[in-house]
Order: sequence, then C-alpha cells, then structure tokens
Amino acid sequence: MASRKPVRWHIAVFLAPAVLVYTALMIIPLFGTLAQSLMNKDATGERVFVGLQNFARLFGDAIWSDAFWNALANNTWFFVIHMLVQNPIGIALAAILSTPKLRMAAFYRTAIFIPTILSFVIVGFVWKLILSPIWGIAPGMLDAVGLKFLFAPWLGREETALTTLALVSVWQFVGIPMMLIYAALLSIPDEVIEAAEMDGITGWSQFWKIKLPLILPSIGIISILTFVGNFNAFDLIYVAQGALAGPDFSTDILGTFLYRTFFGFQLQLGDPYMGSAIAGSMFGIILVGVCIYLFGIQTRLRRYQF
Amino acid sequence: MGALELRGVTKSFGSTEVIKGVDLSVKDGEFCVFVGPSGCGKSTLLRMIAGLEDATGGDILVDGKRMNDVAPAKRELAMVFQSYALYPHLTVRDNMGLALKQAGVAKSEIKVATDRAAAMLGLEPLMGRRPAELSGGQRQRVAIGRAIVRTPKLFLFDEPLSNLDAALRVATRIEIAKLHRELKATMVYVTHDQVEAMTLADRIVVLRAGRVEQVGSPMELYNDPANTFVAGFIGSPQMNFLDAASLGLPAGKVGIRPEHLTISRDQGEIPAEVSHVEKLGGETLVYARNPQHGLLTVRLFGEHDFEVSEKVHLTLQRERMFQFDPDGQRRR
Repeated sequence: MASRKPVRWHIAVFLAPAVLVYTALMIIPLFGTLAQSLMNKDATGERVFVGLQNFARLFGDAIWSDAFWNALANNTWFFVIHMLVQNPIGIALAAILSTPKLRMAAFYRTAIFIPTILSFVIVGFVWKLILSPIWGIAPGMLDAVGLKFLFAPWLGREETALTTLALVSVWQFVGIPMMLIYAALLSIPDEVIEAAEMDGITGWSQFWKIKLPLILPSIGIISILTFVGNFNAFDLIYVAQGALAGPDFSTDILGTFLYRTFFGFQLQLGDPYMGSAIAGSMFGIILVGVCIYLFGIQTRLRRYQF
Repeated sequence: MGALELRGVTKSFGSTEVIKGVDLSVKDGEFCVFVGPSGCGKSTLLRMIAGLEDATGGDILVDGKRMNDVAPAKRELAMVFQSYALYPHLTVRDNMGLALKQAGVAKSEIKVATDRAAAMLGLEPLMGRRPAELSGGQRQRVAIGRAIVRTPKLFLFDEPLSNLDAALRVATRIEIAKLHRELKATMVYVTHDQVEAMTLADRIVVLRAGRVEQVGSPMELYNDPANTFVAGFIGSPQMNFLDAASLGLPAGKVGIRPEHLTISRDQGEIPAEVSHVEKLGGETLVYARNPQHGLLTVRLFGEHDFEVSEKVHLTLQRERMFQFDPDGQRRR
C-alpha cells in the first residue's frame, strides 16, 4: 500500500503528562545528584569537577568508610530480618486467611493491614512509648504474665536496638506481603486444589507441593520490594532514634547516614557533595540488587497460566 | 472391584435442597452417565461421590463400604475435571505421578505406571512438557492419564469434553470409550450433552432438579421413555409433542420422534405449512407449523426439496407413538 502511516500524535499526547512529571520529579533530581557527587568546592568556594574523588574519600578515608560500612552492614541486617521474619509471617498469614474454614477473615485481614497505612512518625513514636523502660507498657505487660525478667531496654542497647527497630518495621509492613500472597493464593483455581485433594495431597504437603510453587513469582516480587524499601529506609530510624541513629550509631542505616552527611546534624556540617556520593552509592547498591533479581531470578520464575 | 451404590443421597446448600434423594447402583465395570440440563445436580452428585462435597443425608457405598466420612484420596477414586485441573508447575510425567509419589510408591514403579498410561493415551513425546505447552486435547489426555495411573476403583468424569472443540470432542469421546473397554473399570461420567451420553453409556441416569427421572440403557431411554422430560431430552432433534385429545386419544400429550413422522404433499393426518428447512446432506430436517400443534420437526433421510411456506401433510407412525398423561407420565 502506498498510503503512509499517519503520525500517531495521541501516543505522545497521552504519554506527555506522566513523562513530564516523572522527569521533573525523578529523572532530573537523580541525574543532578549523580552529577553533584562528582563535584566539590575548591578553596574559593567555587564548584569544581573532582571526578571520583568523593567516592575515593567515602571508601578510602577511615572516618567516612567506617561509617559507611557500618551503615551498610546495619542496613543488610535490617533487610535480613525483613526477609526472614516479615515475609514468612506474611505468607503464613495469607495461607491461614485463605483457608475457607476461618471465620472473620475480613476482620483479621483489615486489622493486620492497618499498621501499613499508619504514618512512620506514629508507629515509631508509639513503639518508643511502648518499649520505654520508664513509662512504657511493655514491662508492665510482661510482668502481668510473669515474664518481667525478659524485659530489657531493647531500644537503648547497642546489641538489640537495630533488631528491635527492624521488628517494629516488620510489624508495620507485614500486611503487604500478606495481601500480595493472599491474592496469589486466591488466583489458584479451585479445581487444581480439588485435584490435589483427590490425589491425596492435603494439608501441609498441599501447601509445599502445589500452592508454594504457584505463588513463587509473587514471593519474588515481595522480595525485591522489600529490598528496595529497606535500602531506602530512613523514617522509622529517624523518628525512633534521631538522625544520630543511636546508641552509638548501632541503628545507623544508609538513609540516616545520608541525611546526616547531606543536611548536617547538630555539630556536623552538611556536605551536599559527600551526601550526593552516598546517595549515588545507595542508588548503585539498589540498582545492582534489582538487576540481579530481574536478570538472575525473575527470568527463572515461571508465571503459570491456569 | 468397583461397584458404586447410592442410597437416599440428599444434599442441601443452606435451605435449598439440590439433590432430593437419589438411589442408584452402578455395577462393576459399568459405564454410567449422569445427564441432565444445567442445574439438575449432576455435578454435585459426582462431587459427593468424589468426596469433594459432603452428603447431607443418605449413604454412598463403594464395594459395599460406606464412604461418606472417608477423605477423597482414601476413596480410591480418580476424577477428571472439566478444566483439566493439571498442576501448572509440573511436567506431564510429574502431573501423572504425583499421587503415587505422595503415597510413597517407589520411583521405578511410578515410572512404569506413568509410561503405561502414556502409551495408552499416546502421550510419550509430551512427557517432559508443562501443561502450558500443550493443546486443550493434550491437556485433557494428561488429566485422563493422571486418573489411569492411580488404578482407581472408580473413574469420575466431570464434563471432560466441554472445553474441547467439536472435532476433538468426537475424537476424545471415542478414546474414552476405547479406554473403558481396555481398562474394564467402572466409570461415572457427567455431561449435559445427550449425544455423549448415548454414545458412551452402558446406562444413562437422567436427572432433573435433583431427582432421577429414569435410569436405563441408551436404547431403553430412546425406545421407552418414562415421561415427557426424558422423551424430550434424549434424541436429537427433540421429540415432537402433540395434543392427544385432538388426535382422538385420551387427554394428555402424544410424543413422536422426528424420524417417525412422514411428510407428503398430497395427503396425511395433519395439515401444516413448512416454515424452515435444514439440509444436512445425509438428512433433511423440515420444520412445519400446524396451528393446533405448533412447530413440528420431521427428519427425512437423504436430500429433499421443500419450499418455505409450502403446504404439506404429516402422518404419524402410530406404532412409534408415545402417549403421556396430563402430568407428563407415560401411559402404558
């Protein structure tokens, strides 16, 4: 045919709002930050290009690198707790919710999901109050069941503070994996489950052999969402422990480390150039993690059509 | 080996009674088809036999043993579902072998059993594939293979052909009939398609609204229907029903199959006007309207030329006629 394809303006028109907003709010700041991480001030206060010098300092200078590795290690632990506690509990809750015999399933579903919609500020503050050794209710509640000896000022101890905060975060967000897995479980056709019943695959072995393989893609999605969320986390630590992420930086994660560096805190002056270098490193870490998932894991997970 | 007996089986969902007392016995090795319109309870009845639904009342016996409280897997039955219900994450081989693996059968034995079933169904080249890589007909064969592997006492089929296209349906139907001859197993088969019922069954159970209307071999149902429902349900095209009084017979209805009406241009009992003609090559269906009896179907063998709105006369073959009383029950 000789007729030319008409220019399809509507595609550009419909894409424009999203592209413009996303560019203005995400792409430009991202590249601005990455560019800034390659700059620094010279003696006269002029902005000059310094190449990878900021990164060299971040990883080479012990004052910076110790703090960075500490934050990265803490952040990794924070992530590990979520993967080992939040996601298995979320899956278990979804499995329980999807059993047809459970009464008031809608109530439990809502109750477990509600903390997710609360603000970090509220959650952090409420848990700080609950766990406070002075006016918290945790010691009293443990006392009521005769377990007072178990109580410790968890948020105040270096060994336990980070784990405690990670568990608070788990409490807040366990509803998200629960909902995603619940939806995935509901999408398994009844007849497949009935066929399993006929084949004698019931109870736990039904979960392991039939349901779990069919929800693996959703578990993959949850894992990557957890990874991105945890390595971008900041608010809960900031609310509960302040930007110094005490005691003695034991709860310092990359987000709080970035915040202190970039904006300054108490006696520390803000350094946007070093801050940008940390932000760039965080971007790199998350990028690598997401790429490993996308190219190494997701391609192997089959999505099943029923 | 696999006799099934139902005694006064009922099922209610809340206050709605869907199965209103079914008594039935299926002999060992018999091919029994439950047929009826949608909503008649035939699938529910099958699911009760399988153990996927609990019976509200009555007894379900397999080989004389009461099965009501036995778990589905322990009843030694296998079911083939309408949607195939294969495990999407397993290969054909694993789909067929999973029940045995769960039961703790040795790997070598599982392989022998799956290979044997695959050979019966021509599935050998597909053993390594997953369900998503199979066509509808192949998936249904895998589902049947999964049932065979377990060597059950009873095979249950829940409308297994209704997701297949017409040509495949005929081919799979023949395959199931062949399988029944080879395995000599008891099979209970649910369908709403009376052609499937007629071609497969040793015995047909016609169900309506949770009750058994008639039980019998296909030809018994065709030649000796108990009531207007069975008469109308079995046979295609449907039986014609005429007002008995106007033919000089006791009040009620008269049923006559389309192949037992003769048509003539010049003379006959019932004058009618042709309203539609369907030519199928081997046979011709003439739909003729009589003001008193409504639309009547005539089935003629071979090709015949009738014009729409042509005047014709229809004659009933009296000896092929069925008489029903006003309640629809056969007058004998």
